[in-house]
Amino acid sequence: MEQFKRRFLYLLFVLALILIPLQSAFAGGADHPNIGETLPLFSVIPFAGMLLSIALFPLLAPKFWHHHFGKISAFWAVVLAVPLLIFYKGLAVYEILHIVLADYVPFLILLGALYTVSGGILLKGTLRGTPVVNTTILAIGTVLASWMGTTGAAMLLIRPFLKANAHRKNRTFMVVFFIFLVANAGGSLTPLGDPPLFLGFLRGVPFFWTFNLLPHMIVVCTILLAIYFLFDMYYYKKEGAQTPPDDGVKEPIRLEGAYNFVFLGGIIAAVLMSGMAKWGEISILGIHRTVQDLARDGILILMAVASMVFTPKPVREGNAFTWFPIKEVAILFIGIFITMIPCLKILQAGTKGELSFLIEAVNQPAHFFWVTGILSSFLDNAPTYLTFLNTALGRFYAGVPELQGVGLLIQENPIYLLAISAGAVFFGACTYIGNAPNFMVRSIAEEAGTPMPSFFGYLLKYSIPILLPIFALVTFIFFI
Amino acid sequence: MKIEKLLFPTKFGELDLNSLESIFPLKDAGLKEVVLYYVIPREEVGFVPYGGYLKEEEQRIREEARIRFEDWQKKLTGAAIDSRIVIEVGDPVADILKTADKEGIDMIVIGRKKIGADRSLFGSRTTQIVTRSLIPVLVSKYMVEVKYEGETVTRINKDIFGIPLLASDWSKPSLKALELLTSFNGIVQKAHICHVIDVKISGRVGTEELHRIEKESKYRLDGYKERLESAGIQTEVHLGAGKSPSEIIRISRDVGATMIIIGTTGKDRLQAFVIGSTSHRVAQLSELPTLLVP
Repeated sequence: MEQFKRRFLYLLFVLALILIPLQSAFAGGADHPNIGETLPLFSVIPFAGMLLSIALFPLLAPKFWHHHFGKISAFWAVVLAVPLLIFYKGLAVYEILHIVLADYVPFLILLGALYTVSGGILLKGTLRGTPVVNTTILAIGTVLASWMGTTGAAMLLIRPFLKANAHRKNRTFMVVFFIFLVANAGGSLTPLGDPPLFLGFLRGVPFFWTFNLLPHMIVVCTILLAIYFLFDMYYYKKEGAQTPPDDGVKEPIRLEGAYNFVFLGGIIAAVLMSGMAKWGEISILGIHRTVQDLARDGILILMAVASMVFTPKPVREGNAFTWFPIKEVAILFIGIFITMIPCLKILQAGTKGELSFLIEAVNQPAHFFWVTGILSSFLDNAPTYLTFLNTALGRFYAGVPELQGVGLLIQENPIYLLAISAGAVFFGACTYIGNAPNFMVRSIAEEAGTPMPSFFGYLLKYSIPILLPIFALVTFIFFI
Repeated sequence: MKIEKLLFPTKFGELDLNSLESIFPLKDAGLKEVVLYYVIPREEVGFVPYGGYLKEEEQRIREEARIRFEDWQKKLTGAAIDSRIVIEVGDPVADILKTADKEGIDMIVIGRKKIGADRSLFGSRTTQIVTRSLIPVLVSKYMVEVKYEGETVTRINKDIFGIPLLASDWSKPSLKALELLTSFNGIVQKAHICHVIDVKISGRVGTEELHRIEKESKYRLDGYKERLESAGIQTEVHLGAGKSPSEIIRISRDVGATMIIIGTTGKDRLQAFVIGSTSHRVAQLSELPTLLVP
């Protein structure tokens, strides 16, 4: 007891040491000069290092990366944070706290809640992997992705999809199209669908504004589903239209843990509420956060806890539910968000910042679609989206506060935000590293014995020949 | 009820082979096959961040497990017990329970853990298996360190089936435990049966009612004794009073038991926390191997 008391007092002392200077540093309120105008270009190196680590380590040293990705993430965060704190002191602390409290925490809470709730829904039954059944599963997954997140929809459907096709000889293309549609393109309609859109929502993009991507999504998904159906028909016939070995037991299709859809509804309602309600602001460590945002985060946590409490263990085990992927996202994204600060700030400074050349070069909607897209293919699409959202803000509304700038962008130049959003969401499908669910789907497929192409195999055999022509068509129809 | 096929999941911890050897006497009670089982935790090989799956790593771990198991199989063959090796990637708790069901296993044997900070002799995985299993689970505890009269003593549980103590609360699982104990007739030297009039009961009834309960308990104990003796097992009965878990452990020490057999009603964690689970508490606190029968 005595030891516990001593530890508690020590903890209080350490917290006081940290928090008192922070509070005094930010007592001044929201008037913070934009450090992006003075930050040197090399300050984006840790961000580049972080993203390159994510891109290259899984390829070059996967085992090392698997065991040490947390240390690598921490390394880049420290490489950025220490000099930033030395040179910018209170301002740096403010920026770090701001990105953690206003972006990282809500981002992680949403992902965690969607992951937990969707992990409690188990699709059971005997499905036979014919072209029609498979295309239907992909279409359902595509629709669900915007409402339960690409990760949630992918986790719900990938195992039944693999099981239904276990008897099929050629399964690789099926998983690749699953990644294209369910893990990426399907998530383009709401901020719940894909992490970049939620980050946009946190920065002032209205919940239903992303519905403007519906025509783009219909074009991409219809073409992909049609190509998939033709591929599947071709292979189905080539394989001799095999039927699965009949084990004599045909289970009817059913959902276990379907009440998790109620919790999913709670998540959607909470996110919607936070975009509509105006309940004022409070300051946490000098960072202004709206009451409705905090209420949303609280409700999301509540939904996740309720899902954990009410869902029987065997249901989650049927989904092979594990916290590991969400832990990975939490560890990697704290590094990404912290190292991203200089890049975002410099871009927000517009032509006054060191990245003015980028702002001047990327000036047409088609440029934004392709540059955001290509970078989203090789870097995670969430930070890429934010980077180019800030590029657009820097271009049109340099020096205007972010929330106001986003509002003006939607009113006056919505095509740019559409191009950035579509680029981030659609191109995330181009590689395994474009979007977090891609690697989870790959891992589950490989564990189930489906051979998956290498990083470059995926790119050369599938992404370039199939996705890029579709994206060219999207550019032609919507962005020129 | 007879143990013919058992599942031996392992993490290849120290003394796991000794734990396996300690159940060899079951051969004389009808044991035919042991399924040696290793689960490669999914997180060891899957979900490489942005990378996917470590297929080669999985192969390496599989091969290592196979080599170790093949060495163990020699011991089993020497004891004339058939064995099979199953290695899977997955979630250990879920897959142990699933495999037990799929393979038609009669009993799961899980290893021991050194004494923990909470004096518990097993960890969270063991707790989950014990709580959720629909078949008997033997927590083998080959070597444990226990506090005895203020000193830490190391105890080796080798001949575990010699003097079993069956703790009964007259429930259905207790009857199943009795039935199981009956099937050990070839390997048991002497069995003990105990029942504890728990303090929750003795504390709320009058002396007269307590005497009635005492009389009835003795009567039931004699019934149990008769069942075992008719199966050829020499038996002694004991009636205790007080807090059930500590009383059962006290009796087990007094009679020099080598194992505790106890029925378990399968309370989940919440129920166990709120109303307590005697069987789980006994399994956690006793230095003896504990066979929990659901």
